[in-house]
Amino acid sequence: MNEQELIQGLRNADDTAFRYLVDTYKDRVFNTAIGIVQNAEDAEDVAQEVFIQVFRSIKDFKEESKLSTWVYRITTTRALDLLRSRKSKKRFGIIQRLFGEGNEPVHEIPDFNHPGVALDRKENAAKLFKAIAQLPENQKIAFTLHKLEDLSYQEVSEVMKTSVAAIESLMHRAKQNLRKILEKEKG
Amino acid sequence: MEEILNSLDGCQRAGAPDFFYTRLKAKMENGREVSTAQSWVLRPVYAVAALLVVLLINAVVIFSSNNNSSFEDKASVDTEVFQSIAAEYRLNDNSTLYDINQDK
Repeated sequence: MNEQELIQGLRNADDTAFRYLVDTYKDRVFNTAIGIVQNAEDAEDVAQEVFIQVFRSIKDFKEESKLSTWVYRITTTRALDLLRSRKSKKRFGIIQRLFGEGNEPVHEIPDFNHPGVALDRKENAAKLFKAIAQLPENQKIAFTLHKLEDLSYQEVSEVMKTSVAAIESLMHRAKQNLRKILEKEKG
Repeated sequence: MEEILNSLDGCQRAGAPDFFYTRLKAKMENGREVSTAQSWVLRPVYAVAALLVVLLINAVVIFSSNNNSSFEDKASVDTEVFQSIAAEYRLNDNSTLYDINQDK
């Protein structure tokens, strides 16, 4: 099925087209999501929401970019939404504890181990993911798409709707920030 | 430091969990059932029924306020009667027994 046929099938709510979409893109979506949210269960939730959104809003897809670009964009948006909601729940939990409510213990998020990382690099990769979690959103997205999904700067710029030069700058700043964070953790 | 920064080089893509599609379809089916259950409220017959109830409540309020005003009319008639009786017996007269010296 080529992209045009797939898009038309999705617009017709064709089950075969939807199955093809999921089979083709599920690993890309899941891998991108897990790199950002750093939790397998949350990544699956994000991935499900991405496909549901694609199914519901395919009629709004203007075909100005490739379908994959659009899917990556939805994935990164949904993943960031989840991170923001986690942050606000954490903030609310702190306020509850100040007022003597919410006596549940605070669970520290354990180190994240990406399933695709080689065994001899797992420890370093866990440190790197911990540092990535502290990057500003744009840097986090650019770094994850480039390093985990192996997208070129051109492809990343299309997903993020910006220029290649802007992506180069984001990556440069991301690496600088990661170095600072890793130095601090070491110290 | 560079080792850590390059630790994701050659990283394999993490695959979606088993039965991902099955769970996704189940989630979509559940979402459809929930929205169907909620949509019955929006059917026209229920909207019309709600409107009629509102109109009925308005009518009751208006009717009961009319009854209150006829009660007020009766009360004003009673007041007039009391006042005429009071006037006859000079009960509302401001002069008092203490003005006896006035006649002298």
